[in-house]
Amino acid sequence: MNAGTLALAALGLPFCSFVLLAVALPLRRAGRAAGALSIAAIGGSLLASLVLWRTLPGESVELTWTWLPAEGGPMATVGILVDHLTASMLVLVALVSFLVQLYSLGYLEHETPPALGRYYAYHSLFAFSMLGLVLASNFLQMFIFWELVGLCSYLLIGFWYTKPEAARAAVKAFWVTKAGDLGFIIGIVLLWGQAGTFQFSRLFQMAGDRTLPTAGLALIMFLIYLGAVGKSAQFPLHVWLPDAMEGPTPVSALIHAATMVAAGVYLVSRVYPLFLLTPDVLALIGWVGAFTALLAATLGLVQADIKRVLAYSTVSQLGFMMAALGAGASDAGFFHLLTHGLFKALLFLGAGAVIHAVGTNDIWQMGRLARAMPQTMIVFLVGTLALAGIWPFAGFFSKDAVLAGVWEGGLAIPFLMLALSVFLTAFYMFRVVFVVFFGPRHAEGHAHDAPPVMAAPLWILAVLTVGWGIGLATRGGGEKAHGPEWVPWLATALAVAGIGFAWLTYQKRVVTPETLARAFAPVYTAAVGKFWLDDLYGGLYRSTLLGFSRLVGWVDRYLVDGLVNLASAWTLRWGDGLRRIQTGRAQDYLYGIAFGLLLVIVWGYWR
Amino acid sequence: MSLEAAGFWGLALVLLASSLAVVLSKNLFHSVLYLAVALVATAGVFLLLQAEFLAAVQVLLYAGGVVTIVVFAIVVTERLVGERLAQTNRGVFTGGLVSLVVLVILVLSLWRADLPRTAPPPPADLTQAIGRDLLTRFVLPFELLAVLFLAGLLGALFFARKEE
Amino acid sequence: MGLQPYLILAACLFTIGLFGVLTRRNAIGILLGIELMLNAVNVNLVAFARFTGETAGLIFTLFTISITVAEVALGLAIVILIFRVRRTVEADQLHLLKG
Repeated sequence: MNAGTLALAALGLPFCSFVLLAVALPLRRAGRAAGALSIAAIGGSLLASLVLWRTLPGESVELTWTWLPAEGGPMATVGILVDHLTASMLVLVALVSFLVQLYSLGYLEHETPPALGRYYAYHSLFAFSMLGLVLASNFLQMFIFWELVGLCSYLLIGFWYTKPEAARAAVKAFWVTKAGDLGFIIGIVLLWGQAGTFQFSRLFQMAGDRTLPTAGLALIMFLIYLGAVGKSAQFPLHVWLPDAMEGPTPVSALIHAATMVAAGVYLVSRVYPLFLLTPDVLALIGWVGAFTALLAATLGLVQADIKRVLAYSTVSQLGFMMAALGAGASDAGFFHLLTHGLFKALLFLGAGAVIHAVGTNDIWQMGRLARAMPQTMIVFLVGTLALAGIWPFAGFFSKDAVLAGVWEGGLAIPFLMLALSVFLTAFYMFRVVFVVFFGPRHAEGHAHDAPPVMAAPLWILAVLTVGWGIGLATRGGGEKAHGPEWVPWLATALAVAGIGFAWLTYQKRVVTPETLARAFAPVYTAAVGKFWLDDLYGGLYRSTLLGFSRLVGWVDRYLVDGLVNLASAWTLRWGDGLRRIQTGRAQDYLYGIAFGLLLVIVWGYWR
Repeated sequence: MSLEAAGFWGLALVLLASSLAVVLSKNLFHSVLYLAVALVATAGVFLLLQAEFLAAVQVLLYAGGVVTIVVFAIVVTERLVGERLAQTNRGVFTGGLVSLVVLVILVLSLWRADLPRTAPPPPADLTQAIGRDLLTRFVLPFELLAVLFLAGLLGALFFARKEE
Repeated sequence: MGLQPYLILAACLFTIGLFGVLTRRNAIGILLGIELMLNAVNVNLVAFARFTGETAGLIFTLFTISITVAEVALGLAIVILIFRVRRTVEADQLHLLKG
């Protein structure tokens, strides 16, 4: 099979599964059978992606079909574009989707069969959409899949739609990302107006031989970047991601950690040749990314909900990727995307195992789980070490590459922010580890390790995280990082310092968290208040939109309705008055005829 | 004063006087009789205008037919109500004013209009011309008239039926 | 004798008929007024026919007369019918359409 067929197979299998589950009601109602079908489909996809990844020819493969015919060539096409970027992303998406769907069988075992069927239908749709997004060969197609994954995110966050917080979080996620998508679609249309094509390959060609008009290109690329800001939860549109944790944990692992939120980063990587033409936008991306990384890291320090800590950590790591892209190290950013996808999925699934066991999200109600759940502890620790960036886990190499890339890119202040974030990342992650697994015991009941169907994905991810890291280490490791020698040492030192500090604070209690909170009172207060961004948005919403609505309501109630009422009142009054001229007597009407006759004659006479 | 003029003025006098009597008489029966006079005088006017055939039609159909029907109706109505039908006028002043204004304006416009003063010589046989035209140029209105009469006949039958 | 005197005569006749229609209380009286007005029209038609040499006017008069006869017959039938129902032919009291 050639590359195009493989890619189409990877894309088509989840779609067939979704259609089957959507149409065949008994199948969907069957619950676990629906899950089996969906898992089989995504497993096939994974296989196809793996083969594609291994056998990919050197140059990119593009298949194109005409979509919107127009004079002088089709206005829009559909197609797939496969290169190394696409292939590795395909493998990541298919792999994490497969593992998460498998894991969900155990995690959601108490759901009713119809709900489970619905869950897997959404999952198949998501897999199809995400793979389509990755394979898209033009902006238009990408936008369509982009919106489809947004829809799936909405559906899956709101999976427990009877829970008010979940429904609210789903709507919030949908609207906040839509704010960015608005910029995205405007940017696409403007770009089409400039270049006359949606197709990546032609755009890259134009960018390469300098035939792309650069006037206004910065604005266009900024607008396209806005789409990435919304999807990848960059400041100031990151507020939806922590709330999205209301969805089931496997969903958080798949959509809100490993794949969909990385779509923004993937978008920027995908059209990186275009971004290279606008260095200002790139610098902005770098600064915003670094700032997001630092901001989210501080927010992660004060969360008590294990999933929210991970969510802020996701935001923070997405900031790392964006910062790398902005600094010109697109390879490093994408590399971090891949490793992060693995270990963040691992962390979320591990957290899911803990939540599944103890029945709460609050880390202060857990504790001493290391003894009850040794396997979970080990895999969670692997993920945490990888996230903190400790050698030889995969995260070490990618984070190191990011830091080196940012330093090489000349963004000194963003580099400092990222360095601080590295320290904070290690601190807040080990805070979770120490409190949950080694802290004083609070949890009631008998926590135990996850059943095999949940444990297997955890182990696979853990082995991949470690194995990839070791593979990189034995192959020299530093091939991706060509920054100064001291960068890996600095990163490791900061991470170790963060771990040590967390150990001192939460394990040894040398420094109490209260002391720390007092010492950093302004930051602590701001972080607890989420930097008041939600309040700001709420206030803006209330003052502008609601104020405007009230104004419109007033205008409608008093001006428009008033005019209508006035018109009807006048009609009534005039009708009542004019009624009296209808006497019902034929002769009175004859007077009217005579008068009309007079008028006609006079008119004819004086004309 | 030619014979024609004398005839015209005489007929006009009779016509106007009897017409006024039609609209002013208190007795309905008298009104109808005055109408008969007015219609016959109109037939005279037609004679002055060389339309002998029409004058004959006027006398036969109008003066004969209409007046007979009206008298018949009055008699039936009076029999039904059991008393003589008196009739009065209402709003004489406004009615008169409106009519007068109409008259003044009509006459004024006629006065200023440029109208032929002499008549062309009459055709040899006017009645024949009428007959020919009626069955050639105006055959469609003629036939439609028949349909109209049929409808009228049906309507009259409907009105005249016995109440169930 | 020109056309003008005939037309003025017809106008007078028409106006008298109008006056009758406007002022009569009895429905039969109103019908008589209408007869006068139609008669004035006939005079006009015949006068024009004479002074233009066109036979159409005469034929229209013929039509008018025939239709008028039919109209009178039906009108009187309606009057009698109204009389049967309402016991009056006073036009003033026939005002079912009063607004």
